[in-house]
Amino acid sequence: MNKPEFVYTTYIETSAEKLWRALTDGDFTERYWFGHRVASAWEIGSPYKFSKQGNNTIEGKVLAFEPHKRLAYTWDPCAPNAHGERTSRVTFDLEPRGNVIKLTVTHDNLDEGGKTFRDISGGWPMVIASLKSLLETGKPLPVETKPNAAPEQRRA
Amino acid sequence: MRKPEFVYVTYIETTPAKLWEALTSSAFTRRYWWNTEVKSDWKVGSPFALVTNGTPTDVGEVLEFDPPRRLSYTFHHLLNEAAKKERPSRVTFVLEPAGKLVKLTLTHEDFAEDSVVLGGISSGWPAILSSLKSLLESGTALEIPPPCGGIQ
Repeated sequence: MNKPEFVYTTYIETSAEKLWRALTDGDFTERYWFGHRVASAWEIGSPYKFSKQGNNTIEGKVLAFEPHKRLAYTWDPCAPNAHGERTSRVTFDLEPRGNVIKLTVTHDNLDEGGKTFRDISGGWPMVIASLKSLLETGKPLPVETKPNAAPEQRRA
Repeated sequence: MRKPEFVYVTYIETTPAKLWEALTSSAFTRRYWWNTEVKSDWKVGSPFALVTNGTPTDVGEVLEFDPPRRLSYTFHHLLNEAAKKERPSRVTFVLEPAGKLVKLTLTHEDFAEDSVVLGGISSGWPAILSSLKSLLESGTALEIPPPCGGIQ
């Protein structure tokens, strides 16, 4: 039986440097990641977190930091109903393909049938689609915020 | 054991009508799909083909045509010898309005056991749909080098 993992690939017309900055700079993530800011010293083993309007939403530690190539961190949602699930892992791989960058997001070490797996399966396509739009058109996707839909973790 | 399938979701700032045209008009598909033309009269039961630079690469039959919501066709690859021996698989596009966006869900399923087509389309669709999103949002498709192996 395969452990559940979520793999999502897209191609973005940008440079590896700009895409790297978009993944690691809080001002940048806030624009396309629906208000979520990332912050870290970005050293292997150092903590990182996502926060939205001052509330922490995701936290973990940095596992890999190879600028313009590979970024990996552990993933612990701060949502109370995700407690008890194992700590999962997110890896971003950046590969030049002609004048575009192939971006592969791999989210693994997930609990079978868990809340985190459901949330991230819906969330990554939206986050990565918005990231691609921002880098290519200068504007993130105009996603309407649904006040009652508890979208934060779903989109994270 | 779950049957193998490939599912890809993306969000595009466009209208369902434009996205529908992009999926069904060969003048449009040529721009984002490695010069591939999609050919069909789009009646349920009619033949369907993908033709790249004059060479048919994949053929099938239209299963569903419900504009601008659902499009489905069978998919039989012709170029790769191993893939050619496999029974046809099935491709379905579902378009759902989401505010100012359209959520596009592609499901490719019903593969033969140990399918080589599954491997090919798993690298092909993300490139094709990324280029489609770029074309609809920025007016310019992506120049992604085509994958090896000939499937898509």
